[in-house]
Amino acid sequence: MSEEFYQKLVDLYAGCELPEDLESALEKAAESDPQLAFEMKSLRELVHLLRSSPQPEFTEESNQRILMKLMARGVQLQSEEHSPGHMQYRLPIQG
Amino acid sequence: MPDDTLRDSQSEKRWLNALADGDPMAFSRLYEMYNERIYRYTFRLLGNKADAEDATQETFFRVLRRSSELRADGAFRTWIFRIARNLCIDRLRQHKLIELPVDAQDSGSEDRATLRITVQQALRDLPIEYRDPLVLCDLEDMPAREAADVLKISVPALKSRLYRGRKALRDKLGGTMEKLK
Repeated sequence: MSEEFYQKLVDLYAGCELPEDLESALEKAAESDPQLAFEMKSLRELVHLLRSSPQPEFTEESNQRILMKLMARGVQLQSEEHSPGHMQYRLPIQG
Repeated sequence: MPDDTLRDSQSEKRWLNALADGDPMAFSRLYEMYNERIYRYTFRLLGNKADAEDATQETFFRVLRRSSELRADGAFRTWIFRIARNLCIDRLRQHKLIELPVDAQDSGSEDRATLRITVQQALRDLPIEYRDPLVLCDLEDMPAREAADVLKISVPALKSRLYRGRKALRDKLGGTMEKLK
């Protein structure tokens, strides 16, 4: 197996992107190859860890500070109440 | 395409056209649609709240200033992430950011706060060419094609950096991964 192909397979396995049959074949191959087994298991655990890692929190304080800086630079921000005509399509009331 | 995604995409197109027409409401709506995603992305590249706020603000300012270049063809997300990324890279290059402790701002349980901070610290130690694909693909869940567009590289190059980045991050986290499981 070429190094490039090996990387590709392990990486797809880590991201759970391999089709079921290929995944089983790779797992079978890993039974007799401890290095491959280590790479597969540890990288899949890492991807799972990253995907389940909590997002940085975007607080209202941060939002307000960003908005204040934008307004200080002359950016005009408008609220929903002043929606222009072309954005106010309404469906007829049903019933 | 799921209904919600389709609706978001249509709404985004409407606001992009409105922004190109000079509608001041459009910028506010696009800000609301993307502020959190851009903040999260810049936070993960820069590692602290103050720099992430500055980079987010500058990103949106540039969006407004360059709104004449906008095309409502679905590439807006790539474009805005690219602006944010370039700003972060400039910032990292120019200031060699002071090593502030990663903000412990997580409002969840102590374990989840520890997890986020540990991952963030390990990410911060990675070279930017590895950190970027990890943040876009594994943390922001962006499709490979789109992440490659943001980074202006081919999909195979992205995949290669992602693989090396994952290995480097795994090695950095070392035994911590066991404890965090």
